[in-house]
Amino acid sequence: MPDRKQISPFGSTLRRELARMKSRPMYFILTVGIMSFCIIFFISLFNEGQLLKMPIGIVDHDNSKISRQFVRNLNATQQAKIAMKLGSYQEARTEMQKGNIYAFVEIKSGFAENLQANRRPPLTFYINDAYLTAGSLLLKDITAMSLLTSGGVQQQILSAKGIDESLISGIIQPIAVDTHMIGNPWSNYSYYFLNVFFPGVLEFVILMTTVFVIGIELKEKTSRKWLRTADNNFIIALFGKLLPYTAMFIVWGFVCNIILYGFLYFPVQASIFRMLLATVLYVIACQCVGILIIGILPVLRDSVSIVMIFGMFGFTFTGFTFPIEQMNYPVRIFSEMYPIRHFFNIYTDQVVHGVDFRYSVVYYFILLAYTLLPFLIFFRLKKAAIYQNYPIK
Amino acid sequence: MKKIYLKTRFRHTLTLSIKESFSIFMQECKTVCTDKGVIIIFLIASFMYPILYCSIYKNEVLVDVPVAVVDQSHSKRSAALLRQIDASRDVKITYHCTSLQEARKVFNTRKVHGVIFIPSDFDSKIVAGQQATLAIYCDMSSFLYYKALLTSTSYIILDNSKQIKTERLNAQGITGEAAKMVADPIPYDDIILYNSSMGFASFLMPALLIIFIHQTLFFGIGMLAGTAREENRFHVLVSSKIHRMGIYRIIWGKSLCYFVLYFALSFYTLGLIPRIYNLPHIGNPVDIVYLLIPFLFATIFFSMTFSTFFRNRETGMVLFLFFSLILIFLSGISWPLKNIHGFWRAFGWMFPSTQGIQAYVKINSMGATIREVSFEYISLWIQTGVYFLTTTLTYYWQIKKNKIRFRIRQIKGHKRVLTINNPTKQSDNTADYKSES
Repeated sequence: MPDRKQISPFGSTLRRELARMKSRPMYFILTVGIMSFCIIFFISLFNEGQLLKMPIGIVDHDNSKISRQFVRNLNATQQAKIAMKLGSYQEARTEMQKGNIYAFVEIKSGFAENLQANRRPPLTFYINDAYLTAGSLLLKDITAMSLLTSGGVQQQILSAKGIDESLISGIIQPIAVDTHMIGNPWSNYSYYFLNVFFPGVLEFVILMTTVFVIGIELKEKTSRKWLRTADNNFIIALFGKLLPYTAMFIVWGFVCNIILYGFLYFPVQASIFRMLLATVLYVIACQCVGILIIGILPVLRDSVSIVMIFGMFGFTFTGFTFPIEQMNYPVRIFSEMYPIRHFFNIYTDQVVHGVDFRYSVVYYFILLAYTLLPFLIFFRLKKAAIYQNYPIK
Repeated sequence: MKKIYLKTRFRHTLTLSIKESFSIFMQECKTVCTDKGVIIIFLIASFMYPILYCSIYKNEVLVDVPVAVVDQSHSKRSAALLRQIDASRDVKITYHCTSLQEARKVFNTRKVHGVIFIPSDFDSKIVAGQQATLAIYCDMSSFLYYKALLTSTSYIILDNSKQIKTERLNAQGITGEAAKMVADPIPYDDIILYNSSMGFASFLMPALLIIFIHQTLFFGIGMLAGTAREENRFHVLVSSKIHRMGIYRIIWGKSLCYFVLYFALSFYTLGLIPRIYNLPHIGNPVDIVYLLIPFLFATIFFSMTFSTFFRNRETGMVLFLFFSLILIFLSGISWPLKNIHGFWRAFGWMFPSTQGIQAYVKINSMGATIREVSFEYISLWIQTGVYFLTTTLTYYWQIKKNKIRFRIRQIKGHKRVLTINNPTKQSDNTADYKSES
């Protein structure tokens, strides 16, 4: 019976792999430990979602009613918290260099007096942009607050001049901007980071696991046994070996999606099933890249080094921190090699923008096309498994 | 008499220990140089990573982010406004659409990353002295798109507003200096320090440089330890050939080898790279060298402690590569330290990279001196001490295990000699142990 014969080698390969998984703690850490650690770490790190109440300093030489009012207003904003009141510019700069404050506002002496005398006293604020995230948020916050203060003064003057109430808002702010942030209206950092970090770590772990589980057979010279269990059929051997991991990582991918969109209620514009489909394809695509890497270099330690170099750039090449289109041309081409790049495109389309399915169909097909990669090195890897002709060290 | 004896003895021990430390140092140097994998990590990765990352992030800021506009006002004023926006560095208008629906279609294909919508009553409202509104829609898939669109439009609109304000005040009979006063009673001056172009590379790269040093050291030392355990008899970390020389001499000899190598490498990574790629480098080099000493030692001892748990050559890299990402976030460079939960802050404190990044960024990018980074500096020395202690303990434990195994082997071998009476069989024993794990 050819049918029965085909099932049994697959089953025995599967069984052999499960036994191997139990044999060393390393497998457990790889498949379960890393992902659970990362999920707990990132969710608890970004649980605020937004950067709130970042420490800033005040150098108030004026100490008038107006300046104190300004300081109070500033303290009441969402992002800034006045952590210290400082005596001089020099002192404030030292505190900034120590990293205790991310910005400070200097109010010169005679501020209130000059304001009342119509002498336009300037307000100076210093932002530390070596911490870009904190710096740019504080810049936005403090600018808004100083414009608001300025607006309050304008309103007082205009009312005092007897100008009609209906005209005042037109004079203070002739053009108002209505900002719509598509998909993330609160500019929430956890939406922004977690949606990319989870697949990013997943890619990393999948690549490592795939390379490791195949490479260790070659290193420990057990690959012939592995083949023999699969009845010398290399396709069955590969499937039987990798299927437990495929299942496991798909489950992890689903867990991430469910945590993000089900429990944390991250905004998702389109149907979550499109993301689940993308996750399945993504996991398989990553595994295929892993097979390609170990196939090109059937030496465990070399392919681990390659994964180290390749995988570390994965986060960079999603283009969520610094957009890909703004990078150099060779870098842009290189980024297309990463499954996460295409997954990120699907995510942008479906979760952030909520566009029609047809816009991202091409990315689903690209992810699917990754399954062709193992065929490039199929015979090479098979030979390596049979002849074990590569250095093991 | 006794004093002299003790003195000579002390001198003898000292010279011996220095000699032996030096011999271990030389031996370790040889191991590092002959191991291809370690060379790849220590030298090639350390050389290539900074260059690769710096060239990826070479464009510090976004330039000409494509946007679509929907100008339903069709007025001279709206056209002028759009021209100014198009001329700004951050944004480039690539599509002119007639309706929001049309703009959305372009947006969906991701040819643009933002839409500027000017309603039909824009001009008439401005002429009538009312408040006109203008809407912008941003792509939030990357926060930098949002930043680019928002900064360019808000600066230009503020500029235009001033003009309109003056016109309106003139119409109300407020002119000249008085109008200026009313239009802008409190002029503000935003001074961006330490990264004045708000560049992405200037912000991230200094932290990454420290991470490269930390991680390559960690993986390299882990690989050396794993290899030693694969190759040595009985899979021990320290072969009996060396451990007779004493535990401190081993640790000093080995760590000195890594230190010398990385001290030299750091001139390239921390000194040369920021100058070549024009990253911030306003710090005093002497302060950086001061910082480097505890940072490297802390990292080396930290890595040596953990390397004792690696049974195989690749274990460290396979299991802990993902940790580089975690370390970047723990360092508090992108997510401010003050906003990290106390538990994670304490967790992050344990890693030399956290202190290293904070201190290096403060010195190198912000021009601080060692006095301003005293917290990090002292923390690094504490870490050096603690990790030195843990290294000693783990090495001691390893050597003791080694001795026990050696003893077992001796007894077993003895038995075998007694029973089979064939002393050459002894060597098979080692082979058995090797195939076991």
